[in-house]
Amino acid sequence: MLEIKPIFNALCRSKVGAVLLLIQIAITTAIVSNAAFIIQDRISYLNQETGYPEQDIFKFNVMTFGTDINLSQQFELDESMLRKMPGVVDAALSSSIPLSGSGSASSFNLKPAPQEGLSVRAAYIFIDDHAINTYGVNLIAGRNFTEDEVLVTNEITQKRTNVTIVTKALLDELYPDGDGLGKIVYFGDLPLKVIGVIGKMKGPWLKDSKPDNFAFIPYIKAESYTQVAVRTEPGQRATVMKEIENAMLANYSKRVINNIKGLDELKNEYTAQDRLMMRMLIVLITILVLITALGIFGLTLFNISKRTKQIGTRRALGARKSAIVSYFLVENALICSLGLALGVVTAILLGKMLMQYFSVAALPPSYIAVTAIAVLLMSLLAVLAPAKRAANISPSIATRTI
Amino acid sequence: MLQMNNVSKVYQTEMVQTHALRDFNLQVNEGEFIAVTGPSGSGKTTFLNIAGMLEPFNEGEYLLDGVNVGSLNDNQRADLRNQKIGFIFQGFNLIPDLNLYENIEVPLRYRGIKANERKRRIEQCLEQVGLASRAKHLPQQLSGGQQQRVAIARALAGEPRFLLADEPTGNLDSLMARQVMELLEQINRDGATIVMVTHDSELARRAPRNIQVVDGQLADFTLYQGAQTIKTASGV
Repeated sequence: MLEIKPIFNALCRSKVGAVLLLIQIAITTAIVSNAAFIIQDRISYLNQETGYPEQDIFKFNVMTFGTDINLSQQFELDESMLRKMPGVVDAALSSSIPLSGSGSASSFNLKPAPQEGLSVRAAYIFIDDHAINTYGVNLIAGRNFTEDEVLVTNEITQKRTNVTIVTKALLDELYPDGDGLGKIVYFGDLPLKVIGVIGKMKGPWLKDSKPDNFAFIPYIKAESYTQVAVRTEPGQRATVMKEIENAMLANYSKRVINNIKGLDELKNEYTAQDRLMMRMLIVLITILVLITALGIFGLTLFNISKRTKQIGTRRALGARKSAIVSYFLVENALICSLGLALGVVTAILLGKMLMQYFSVAALPPSYIAVTAIAVLLMSLLAVLAPAKRAANISPSIATRTI
Repeated sequence: MLQMNNVSKVYQTEMVQTHALRDFNLQVNEGEFIAVTGPSGSGKTTFLNIAGMLEPFNEGEYLLDGVNVGSLNDNQRADLRNQKIGFIFQGFNLIPDLNLYENIEVPLRYRGIKANERKRRIEQCLEQVGLASRAKHLPQQLSGGQQQRVAIARALAGEPRFLLADEPTGNLDSLMARQVMELLEQINRDGATIVMVTHDSELARRAPRNIQVVDGQLADFTLYQGAQTIKTASGV
């Protein structure tokens, strides 16, 4: 037997505690549903497919201080030495490293600058014909660069690069009909023919609004500071990474090899803040939910001790133990449903605010619904133990003068 | 109506065993109005609690309207309390957050009586105690005497055959006490059996039958009438 009406009336007459709890439940619902969504969003962001075998790839920096060599020739020697090292699959000079948070981007246009036409921003890497193999990415259409198409120089020259390999995401944006392979895109005013398409390959910035827009351009500008990417056989990376400095210095010693880091490590450094935020959010919502549960638990205990005589009287007037338990459950459910109703509205408003000021995606209603159900269950659980305790109050309390 | 045969109640703490009732025998017939008196600590309240099934007893047999109370479980006792007994407490025990109407409604809801029937009974009982116009008031808006009349209305609403009153006038001044007593007498004339615990001997004398509890046992009324205290402490 549920006495909703008298319980509701009684609540309305002494509402301070109930209102405080209601607000707490509303705040919990609003914050938890938004935080849960952001956490889920971050998890899928952190676990997204990058297109690379991250565990097998590493990079290192080369700073050459010796001036007694031709850098272009030296790098070609280095590359062929690296590619022959045991455990190495392939290696290439890479003007920047994907997922690392640092790189270059430019607009890729359908018409040469300064003519106006469709323009799409994309990250790019200057790299040679070993790019696809070194980064272990998947060429889904077209072909790789040939050795002849790669321009290697550290001098000003009239020779121009004229091909590119791009990701499907970039090509589809430039040519929505899917017929971009073999067409020309303009890198500034430089026409590049798209000769190959890569299925998936993330650029340097995962947080970028278009992290999938990425291009390889076959050009090696030999400079005293450069970066090299290496892919090893699975499980061989640690060994190769240890040997790399000696091997490079054995080839030529007037240089410094440093910043030897795995691709996964670079990605972790880049996403460290996101992971920290995610952990803090998880801690925050756990604490919030616990505090709300404790609040409900405490308020019920307080109500019981305040109403000991009333509970005894109710028992004397014929309430079964189950009626006392259901009294507190119904009372809590009433406060909770009002709190949840307020919480749902607050959650939507908070979600809109986050969307507006922090460019978070729109909060899906399912997150609010699941949070609301979870908060309701948690509150019923929190009230159950005190309610059972109340049911065990002896009816003989009614005749005692306290 | 009520029959207790050799009922005993022992309160056990680590140090002491207190015999609140021992071999208590009492027969109350339908329609009686009995005043139970006795010095404090004599076992009056324990008797009332056992009679009202508010607490269990250790030994003996208690029949309420032919039902053997000792053999009932907690739910059955709650239901029997609800159906047969109307309680009137010294402290009124009204629920402060409920208005008069809702207070009287409490036992009726526990019995599962339908809303329109509840309404009929509540209005009738409020009428009977002279508070019909104040159904929407909260208990704290009433005087003590009015609150006790509400409590009586609550006890009557279930149409019990047996009213248990615990010092019903203990918290009231003499004028209000007299009004409450007159109300109880009226209820008794209407057919309810009343057992009233009191230590007010003047009030007790108005009841047709007086019994006295001393040391957890029933003492003969005629022997102790007028005598203030023969024995003071309960059996320790």
